[in-house]
Amino acid sequence: MNCQEFWDTMPELAHEAGEGHCEHLRECSPCAALLNHQRALASGLRLVAAELRHVEAPARVESRLTAAFLGQAGLPVRRPASRWWMPVVTWASAAAAVAALAMFLMRDRQPAPAHRTASSSLQLAAVEAPADLDALGDSSDADNEFIPLPNAARIEPNEELNLVRVEVPRSAMIALGYAVSEDRASEPVEAEVVLGADGLARAVRFVE
Amino acid sequence: MIKKPMTPNPPESDDELLMRMRSGDEQAFVSLYRRRQAAIYRFALHMSGSMTVAEDVTQEVFLALIREECGYDPERGTLSSYLFGIARKLVLRHVERGRADVALETDVDSSARPELMVNDDPLTDLTDREGIEALRRAVFTLPRRYREVVVLCDLEEVDYGEAALVLGCPVGTVRSRLHRARALLLEKLSQRWHHRSGVSTLKPIRGLI
Repeated sequence: MNCQEFWDTMPELAHEAGEGHCEHLRECSPCAALLNHQRALASGLRLVAAELRHVEAPARVESRLTAAFLGQAGLPVRRPASRWWMPVVTWASAAAAVAALAMFLMRDRQPAPAHRTASSSLQLAAVEAPADLDALGDSSDADNEFIPLPNAARIEPNEELNLVRVEVPRSAMIALGYAVSEDRASEPVEAEVVLGADGLARAVRFVE
Repeated sequence: MIKKPMTPNPPESDDELLMRMRSGDEQAFVSLYRRRQAAIYRFALHMSGSMTVAEDVTQEVFLALIREECGYDPERGTLSSYLFGIARKLVLRHVERGRADVALETDVDSSARPELMVNDDPLTDLTDREGIEALRRAVFTLPRRYREVVVLCDLEEVDYGEAALVLGCPVGTVRSRLHRARALLLEKLSQRWHHRSGVSTLKPIRGLI
């Protein structure tokens, strides 16, 4: 048995070599060394795997997904897909109204251009991230990123954006996939709303 | 009267949990998520090197399941391979967007046969702390297509058939990539050992792997 035949017929990383294989290993020290290395590698990989066995997704992911699941499961099974977005759309409309009001009140103050922030794909439950927000820069703080509002108009290149800070009931966060306890649902929470050039809300993030 | 020993109910299969989940059973979803999330998270972590990306990917994988996107078909493979498949695509998307915290692609010419450096015994101990850490780093520096087979088959213990489904390639390709990946790992570890020990007399062996 030559080296090629040995490796062609040797069961991968097998601990028990056949008679022919053993004979070749006795005669060929490079093959014996290589086989030993492969076995050491297999042992090492098993240890790496064992060390990482406890690594798992942070608990907040389960909270968000459970909220998303409940949001989805709470609707009738055969309900038209568009209705699925109703809570979010309702909230988005409310946010837009609040934002428009805020714009009206701030009209004479010349609000500063919005601080552009990345939209991570860590978007929450019920929200699809429009491609235009995806194209913005990156941010290391994924928990505090702007969430694009569904059905909002696209942000055009070079469009001037404005940022307003508003106060909304914490329950509004539920529609965007956040877990909010019942006893805190009525508490106010500050949100920053990105307004497009038309004054309508495009994205939101909660300040807290 | 002899009492029969209590036999615990066998755990529900993924597909059974999925059916209950699709009928709105929150507990079924939570059970399924808890059963599968860690492997998906680790896979994304190994492939991206970024905990942020791994978290994003894990979330998106299960959102796809909740939304019944991508069309899981039990006839075509297990739920586990389906989830790994989505995770793989999402990781690639993240990488293409340049969102990973570290550069992933260190790919090499796959047509080149590896030269395995063999000397007296450079790799005797991969089981101590330093050896494990070196091996973990070596896995991370593998080119993507080799890293994913090592992560799936060696670290997550996915069988070759399932890995082939995840990667969308024949089982033979999984085997050959795994073979090549292990050879690259040995080469990287050997180089590291030689670099540290200052040994310069290496004997390249071609054609054995």
